[in-house]
Amino acid sequence: MSEVQRRKYSQEEKNTIFDGEFMPHIDSMYNFAYRLTFDEDDAKDLVQDTYLKAYRFVNSFEQGTNAKAWLFRILKNSFINEYRKKSKQPAKVDYQEVETYYNSDDVQYQSTSDLRAESVKDMLGDEISNALNSLAVDFRTVIILCDLEGFTYEEMAKILDIPIGTVRSRLHRARNLLKEKLKGYAQNMGYDTDEEEAI
Amino acid sequence: MDMNEETSGARKLRCDDTSKCFELLESILDGEMDNSKEVLKDKLAKCQPCFEHYHLEQAIRDVLKTKCTKHEVPTELADCIRQKIQDIK
Repeated sequence: MSEVQRRKYSQEEKNTIFDGEFMPHIDSMYNFAYRLTFDEDDAKDLVQDTYLKAYRFVNSFEQGTNAKAWLFRILKNSFINEYRKKSKQPAKVDYQEVETYYNSDDVQYQSTSDLRAESVKDMLGDEISNALNSLAVDFRTVIILCDLEGFTYEEMAKILDIPIGTVRSRLHRARNLLKEKLKGYAQNMGYDTDEEEAI
Repeated sequence: MDMNEETSGARKLRCDDTSKCFELLESILDGEMDNSKEVLKDKLAKCQPCFEHYHLEQAIRDVLKTKCTKHEVPTELADCIRQKIQDIK
């Protein structure tokens, strides 16, 4: 929100933008907030704070641009600044450290090829949800933004303040980690994940 | 990745560069590639690991989308926000 101050909207325009462009995203915003905080009250507060900030800074929103991406960016920054400390997620993981660690490793493609698409389709909501929730917050976030909310790489780069190349590589790592988790569930459900190694 | 691989009808069982291929397939699924249809058709027809990876990726996305986006928003949240905005106006 450090962009150049744009022209000031009238009170009426502010309301129109708020109701027409901001409020329709409340479902996605709450879903994102809940997946970051794992707590319904924190998620509610986070969404509420985000909308109040959005209203306060509405002059720096350019009408006709992607309101959802703009709101997600505010929410993500608020989460980092205010909610990360008190949220019930496991100890904070430094994503640079995580990325360096995973990037230094040759990705094990065996693990991705032996999880059959059919077994994934039978996954229950809790299983896939737990698998997603168990990822470190920076990996979880890119999956939410891309696969759940359909943001483009460019939008994600803006929301997360990272280069597009990092978005791409983080997504790729996140998906491999998610498959690892899902593999565990698939095995527990009795699927034979060791069948025919294609590689 | 090898586009000059002969097309004998059967898919090859080994992928020469899974790392590059899988990232490419993910970009296609993410809608980040131009002329993706041709590239995809070509790859899936020729390479078994790519074929499997693509369908697995797609399945995971479908499941994520249907099972992880339905967290119900508390009914009072929107009203609460509107009220707070009224207060600061």
